[in-house]
Amino acid sequence: MALRELKVCLLGDTGVGKSSIVWRFVEDSFDPNINPTIGASFMTKTVQYQNELHKFLIWDTAGQERFRALAPMYYRGSAAAIIVYDITKEETFSTLKNWVKELRQHGPPNIVVAITGNKCDLNDVREVLEKDAKDYADSIHAIFVETSAKNAININELFIEISRRIPSTDASLTSAGKGFKLRRQPSVTKHSCC
Amino acid sequence: MALWSMPGLEERLQEQGPTRSLAEALSLPWDRFSAWLHCICVVGFDLELGQAVEVLYPTHSKLTDKEKSNICYLSFPDSNSGCLGDTQFCFRFRQSSGRKISLHCLMDQFDKDLPIYLKKDPAYYYGYVYFRQVRDKTLKRGYFQKSLVMISKLPYIKFFQTVLKKIAPEYFEKSDPCLEAACSDIDRWPAPCPGAMLNLPIMGVVIKVRIPTRHDKPGTTTQLIETTPQADVHISVSLPTIHEVDLFRCFSPVFLHIQMLWELVLLGEPLVVMAPSPSESSETVLALVSCISPLKYCSDFRPYFTIHDTEFKEYTTRTQAPPPVILGVTNPFFAKTLQHWPHIIRIGDIKLAGEVPKQVKVKKLKNLKTLDSKPGVYSSYKPFLNRDEEIIKQLQKGIQQKRPAEAQNVILRRYFLELTQSFIIPLERYVASLMPLQKSILPWKSPPQLKCFSQDEFMKTLEKTGPQLTSRLKGDWMGLYRHFLKSSNFDGWFRTRWKEMTRKLEALHLEALCDEDLLLWIEKHTEVEAVDLVLKLKNKLMSAVGEHLPVKPDTMPRLQMHIDSIISALPEDLQGILLKSDTT
Repeated sequence: MALRELKVCLLGDTGVGKSSIVWRFVEDSFDPNINPTIGASFMTKTVQYQNELHKFLIWDTAGQERFRALAPMYYRGSAAAIIVYDITKEETFSTLKNWVKELRQHGPPNIVVAITGNKCDLNDVREVLEKDAKDYADSIHAIFVETSAKNAININELFIEISRRIPSTDASLTSAGKGFKLRRQPSVTKHSCC
Repeated sequence: MALWSMPGLEERLQEQGPTRSLAEALSLPWDRFSAWLHCICVVGFDLELGQAVEVLYPTHSKLTDKEKSNICYLSFPDSNSGCLGDTQFCFRFRQSSGRKISLHCLMDQFDKDLPIYLKKDPAYYYGYVYFRQVRDKTLKRGYFQKSLVMISKLPYIKFFQTVLKKIAPEYFEKSDPCLEAACSDIDRWPAPCPGAMLNLPIMGVVIKVRIPTRHDKPGTTTQLIETTPQADVHISVSLPTIHEVDLFRCFSPVFLHIQMLWELVLLGEPLVVMAPSPSESSETVLALVSCISPLKYCSDFRPYFTIHDTEFKEYTTRTQAPPPVILGVTNPFFAKTLQHWPHIIRIGDIKLAGEVPKQVKVKKLKNLKTLDSKPGVYSSYKPFLNRDEEIIKQLQKGIQQKRPAEAQNVILRRYFLELTQSFIIPLERYVASLMPLQKSILPWKSPPQLKCFSQDEFMKTLEKTGPQLTSRLKGDWMGLYRHFLKSSNFDGWFRTRWKEMTRKLEALHLEALCDEDLLLWIEKHTEVEAVDLVLKLKNKLMSAVGEHLPVKPDTMPRLQMHIDSIISALPEDLQGILLKSDTT
């Protein structure tokens, strides 16, 4: 069985739960008092998808502003980017849109993007409507999912969907259409966000 | 259909090999970092102070003023050699005396499994440098000049070069958060365990590398276990070697003299490399030191040495004969200071593989006067062995046929390896014969002594079992051995062998003792003698464990069983006392 190494990066504002998503996926555990990430942390997990093994090389980046300039190192060469926001904080969704723009401008051309609304267990204090986020994701041909790292909701599903969207090696040319369209579109990039 | 059956933990344990122990799981912040690096520093140029350490990571790492001063000078090109752009090189400096040498016990365990030429030298540090010099009109000096330097005890040249190449350009653009991120990556690396396939994530890529072990067959280049078809350097990089420099490229300016250089290094002759830049001086010195591998070069060597070095006076004094060291220098001042040195290699710019100078003769030392002397080897040394025309022809043919540089390098490396092995095998064979016979190892007597090394006896063995068995080279092999036996390389090699054999002898003795029926023995002896035996056995057990004696795996448990059964055969009051002393 073929083994493919797939670089995946997580982007998004500080405190939205990027590391918690990775911990849930890799270790199936949750720690409410996790420390802020420095630079980026790295983990791997191998899964089977159809007749391939996908080894995810996961770069979980720091959300803090001072590490912002380092992001290109982590999305360079990435097959997929998981951009995370917190459904209870409107401003984290704005940050997410900036990440989408940056990826469009500087990211790898066929990167699969997954828009991930984390903390869906906190529905009572929701600030971002599921429909709004879903519409936005559809408009950029991205995966959309609401997750809860705390209650293990949709975490595995997120990665299964990424596996599904990544062009298979034999048919990488034909199925590229499934990916996120990141052809340079200068008209969109100049505007400042929302 | 997707099957999600592989738990991540299991896989990561497997990746990190057997090294992930409890000790590692409990490691404190920076513990893992210090297994790889002592510190990372940034050396900049201050108009008033000159070179200065601007940043130090981790901030608590300790460097004495002397060490700092050495690092500052050694991290910058010392002459106006026009290193414009980015330059990488390496240096080596003495650890300040009086500093506590604290070797992590876990790391000692790793050192034991390393081939001798990769073992750490407790008295020295390596400095791996990435130096950038570019024009910048906004700065007073007109130039941006800065070095990112990694200080480590590990001689993993290729590896640290690769890591620095990844970190430094990012750092020069993005400053401190970048170093923080890099250090945090390194602090999560698995320990540098020989033999394991290591995956080392750094700044968005995974470096895959394997540290050789002493059990590897010399000359086998590291074969990577995992070879996923993938060429994207933004994802992962597989390093075929952690330490080897490109011998062919380094020696190409003096390629016709390689065999003579091998003799000079083998004999530990004082040797200086004068090069146009630190990267060339350091690569050439490292190539020289490694050309006698798997023998360890035992004297001091400085891939890059400056007039500001703490040891400058010690090494350049004219009141004594030049020390048996290899120095790499770039400052033209050394042409005069080291004029009295017996062997000088002068190299111009290292050319791209494929261009080799045509000149043949070794130059007379008196011709080396000034800075503008031509590249070449200056020495009055007469090699002991005849020149091997075949290797020269083979390499020259390769140049004509445009053989890839990697292939040329492999050919040259194999040539040196075979030459060194032909030379050392007779010594190995003779030294093995110094071991006492198995039947002379008796359980109730202390282990027999190793026989002494006798030069005459060794020389006698050469007639029948000398290097002529494995090498076609003719010449004065006897003379070469006679000189070698006086060198520090022989001394170092022999000490290691002696220590290994002594340990083997102790191990065999311990095994012999285990095979005895000790209960029968105590029946025939007094109680006092039995107690004495128990205490002795306990001591032996402790030191055998502490020194990792090469005993059969079941020896230790058997010894413990013996101790237990003797104790239980003793009167109860004694039992109490002997068991109690177990816990102290």
